[in-house]
Amino acid sequence: MILEARNISKSYGSLEVLKNVTLECHKGKIYGLIGANGTGKSTLFRILLGLIKADGGSIEINSQGIKPIGGIIEKPALYGYLSAYGNLKVFARSQGLNLTKELYSQSMQQVGLSTKRTDAVNNYSLGMKQRLGLAVALLNNPDCIVLDEPFSGLDPMGIIALHELIKKLSRQNQITIIISSHIVGELTDLCDTLCILNGGEIIKKGPAAELLNDSVTTYKIVGNNLEMSEVLQSINAIFSKKSAFVSPKMISISEILQKLIEEGQEVTACIPQTDLKALFGGEKI
Amino acid sequence: MISLIRSEIYKIRKQSKTLYALAAILIIEGFVIVSAYYQGAGIIDLLLANLKDSFEFKGNLLNGNLIIYLILNSLWFHIPLILMIIISGFLTSEYKDRTLETVMLQPVGKLNFILSKYVVSIVFTLLIVLLLAVSTFLVSYWIFGRGDLVVYLDGLNFFKSDEAFYRLIYAFVSGANSMIFFSVVSLTLAVILKDATKTWIVSAIFLICSNLLLKIDFQNEFLNELFFSKLTDSWQYFFYYKIPYSTIYFKNFMLFGYTLITMIIGIIIFKRRDIQV
Repeated sequence: MILEARNISKSYGSLEVLKNVTLECHKGKIYGLIGANGTGKSTLFRILLGLIKADGGSIEINSQGIKPIGGIIEKPALYGYLSAYGNLKVFARSQGLNLTKELYSQSMQQVGLSTKRTDAVNNYSLGMKQRLGLAVALLNNPDCIVLDEPFSGLDPMGIIALHELIKKLSRQNQITIIISSHIVGELTDLCDTLCILNGGEIIKKGPAAELLNDSVTTYKIVGNNLEMSEVLQSINAIFSKKSAFVSPKMISISEILQKLIEEGQEVTACIPQTDLKALFGGEKI
Repeated sequence: MISLIRSEIYKIRKQSKTLYALAAILIIEGFVIVSAYYQGAGIIDLLLANLKDSFEFKGNLLNGNLIIYLILNSLWFHIPLILMIIISGFLTSEYKDRTLETVMLQPVGKLNFILSKYVVSIVFTLLIVLLLAVSTFLVSYWIFGRGDLVVYLDGLNFFKSDEAFYRLIYAFVSGANSMIFFSVVSLTLAVILKDATKTWIVSAIFLICSNLLLKIDFQNEFLNELFFSKLTDSWQYFFYYKIPYSTIYFKNFMLFGYTLITMIIGIIIFKRRDIQV
């Protein structure tokens, strides 16, 4: 186990932001923390990173490195008036690390940035700033990286590129990565384990695929002339253009699909719809 | 700690506001010189009008030493105000841009970080006073030449050119201590307030009140001698006919104590607080 946070609690006045949160992370795995805005994700991350003190609980990081944990909170905060080199130089120097040309090239290469740009970071796109922020977080080779809402504000291509980068860091460098998001879709394909945070508590925890399957109550079936299907009509499907939404109760989705084929319907896709209320535990969001 | 200081110096060198600070200092200096060039003679005539009836003045009293003394008087308000704005910005900009968070996400101790800010602020203040002094001496002597210095301080005091030179140098050295005090206060205010505008306003109010309180008699010997505002004017004492060295040493020593206490308060607050921007 690389990181073990036990019974973390934090309050701001009478507002209890975190209630006995426990998180255990293993080397080289990707963990996702999902929760609506204001459920305590950033507070938990700030505590893990040592920026704020918890009111109770303990954190143990099993690392012998100079920098056991690194991360980015919300958007990457960099010196806008400095170049990428200047930023890496400042942050490297502040932790007693000499930024040689080799280290600079290696750091930039690791996050897929070019070393040719010498202009101020203010001119960079958000995606490039995220990458540079990640390069800063990776200085001194931490064993664990915490990324708070890293996809926020990125375009779809940027999200895909960051997904690939995170996967690469986890698989190739054996870095444990903890990511938060309030958008389920951003983390489903990426994370090994998902934790659902609601009302300051982790209400669900488990393998991402399993957790999401448990929260799927509706399926979107796509095909031609679905509204003519007696099978779909009999289970009160909701029709919309070339698709139908079904919430199977008495029979399973595979049985419905089988019956549709037998009926001669042309089904082109069946997409599970995650029930956010079921996933987030209903009321507290 | 050394690497943190080097990192701070690198940031200051690269920031455009450092250039603005230097430009502001030189503009004030230039403004005094230009005003003196065009209006100085008239003002001196007015100042010495009564004396000229009884005494004969030889040489030019509008000389480099008088100009340096006039620029030295910017240590009352202009220079500390500029220093307080720039130095508080060393920290408030880190809060505003959230770079403080990024720094604190590296293996950097809070104590070392804030201590390096204080050290760099003091070094920056000394360099600014040095720049002011060197440029003032060079430009004033170059344009106006040397001459005897006339100063109005509890009456008119006249100093020969050579004597005026060393009194002015000592005044800059003593003034640097006062400037360090104001710089450290502004950085501590930045630690407390975090926000740039609030820090500027409170710093300006602090400076104004400090100058006003300096002139007020508290009717209490202890306060009159030891209250911080009574200690920031030691550099003026070099222009009394007989220099009160013991008073100057005492004031500077006490003010340095206030500087240290202010710094310690800032460090404690910074260390105890969460990093939340």
